[in-house]
Amino acid sequence: MTGNTLDIRDLRLSFRNHGGTTEVLHGVSLSIAAEERVALVGESGSGKSVTARAVLGLLQSQRNARMSGQILFEGQDLASLSGTERRRLRGTRMSMIFQDPVSSLNPLFRIEDQFREVLRRSDRRAGLRRTREVAGKLLRDVSIDDPDRVLSSFPFQLSGGMNQRVMIAMALVNEPSLLIADEPGTALDVTVQDQTLKLMRKLADDRRAAVFFISHNLGVVREFSNRLYVIYRGRIVESGPTGSIFRNPRHPYTRALLAAVPRITRAGIPDIEDSPEAFSAPCEVHGSKVTTA
Amino acid sequence: MTPALLQIRRLSKTFRTGRLEVHAVRDVSLDVAAGECMAVVGESGSGKSTIANMILGILRPSSGSVHFDGNPLPARRTLSHRRRIQLVQQNPLSSLNPNRTVGASLRLALDVHAIDHRSRRDFRVAQLLEEVGLSPEMASRSPAALSGGQRQRVAIARARACRSDLIVLDEPTSALDVIVQARILRLLNGLRSSQGLTYVFITHDLAVVRAVADRVAVLKRGALVEIGTTDQVFSGPAHPYTRQLIAASPVVTAEEEAVRRKLREDEFNDGP
Repeated sequence: MTGNTLDIRDLRLSFRNHGGTTEVLHGVSLSIAAEERVALVGESGSGKSVTARAVLGLLQSQRNARMSGQILFEGQDLASLSGTERRRLRGTRMSMIFQDPVSSLNPLFRIEDQFREVLRRSDRRAGLRRTREVAGKLLRDVSIDDPDRVLSSFPFQLSGGMNQRVMIAMALVNEPSLLIADEPGTALDVTVQDQTLKLMRKLADDRRAAVFFISHNLGVVREFSNRLYVIYRGRIVESGPTGSIFRNPRHPYTRALLAAVPRITRAGIPDIEDSPEAFSAPCEVHGSKVTTA
Repeated sequence: MTPALLQIRRLSKTFRTGRLEVHAVRDVSLDVAAGECMAVVGESGSGKSTIANMILGILRPSSGSVHFDGNPLPARRTLSHRRRIQLVQQNPLSSLNPNRTVGASLRLALDVHAIDHRSRRDFRVAQLLEEVGLSPEMASRSPAALSGGQRQRVAIARARACRSDLIVLDEPTSALDVIVQARILRLLNGLRSSQGLTYVFITHDLAVVRAVADRVAVLKRGALVEIGTTDQVFSGPAHPYTRQLIAASPVVTAEEEAVRRKLREDEFNDGP
């Protein structure tokens, strides 16, 4: 037993489809200590979002998914839980912030009704008055000055940045120990994205929640995470403290990825070597502070 | 001095829905010289796509004008205008016809604009594909069978097919992974210098602007707030909004971080 909030051990995942089986994850292992902000960064199709879905327990009941390996949440093996027990964890001990708040919030219900639904996962009898009390405080925490107006609004009456902040507040309602954020802020303008990330970092710190941060954007990851895993085609290729990886990327894939990002301090486009063979080199683990089982 | 290839003069666009008036573009003037890459940056709602649509003739200006190659562009574009000004969009999956093979899509552009003799057009299709770094065999594929980067290459080849002079690139790499983005940007740069193309490059990503643009125009709520060479704007952004945009851009190096921090401190010192 480790003290980690999340431990993923040798996670393998494949999907059956009409053409046969597609291998998606080839033995992914990662851990997140309590109160740590860990990022999983990779390109589209690398398996990062599917890893988040597995942690949420959304794939276990999917009939075409084959999974092996272990996912331990607060020391508890998710596979040993029933579907109902896994469902009970979602929105309470672990919660999720999605990329696009507009498609994640229900357009037909007022914000307060959606808050109440989340609150009722931990407190079945929560009514509107209690909801307004809890939500009002949380909305102030995400720098929304007039929570009453927001609570009685529908999502389409609010801006994208506002909806994203509502989503963050909602994810915090039941004081989760793990917050999973899948490309948060990607759909927002840079100035709003910047504010959103700062806010999320502060709130996670204040509430001592660990964050599992999934992103393709290296700049955002650098800003937000303490530690980082780089995933390429279903394999972790490099892991370590964020600063260390950005200062000294070791794996050929991480290097190519970093080299490809345009810089605000430099004109011209980097020349990216075409060497996918090198990308399958073994995983590089940066020394310090890596907590393994 | 030769006049600019594209001249935008006091361009405005107002949308009316019921009693509501939205001033999407307000009195914007800018010139784009032949062979230049002009970036137009701004956040959502800044009017950058509306300007693109007016350049392309998809929208009519409420006031002001767009001149191309010395002449005002008419509301109804001639075939020649449509040939010379082309568009590459963010999402090639929705801009390429899913029912047509890649070859047929390129061939159509050649047929419509009567480029080359009919007997040579298949050869020309193969040439166009090679020009954008794809193998000629790709001609028989459907867009759905290609990767995102390959599709964007096809969209670029199609914009090139009719020997266009000006290409409006509307967030051409925003939907792509960063390694693919670097390759597409390289391709665009190469084509511009080898074929003498002119670009209006619309994006929200300032690091991309820094990488490819000669000059940059910054829009905020439909109005032009700053314009200058890319070097000028990045080394000494004059407008507070430009500074804010640069300071909020995600960065990956300590050197960039220092630039951002400086801008943020200045902002703080300038504040009320």
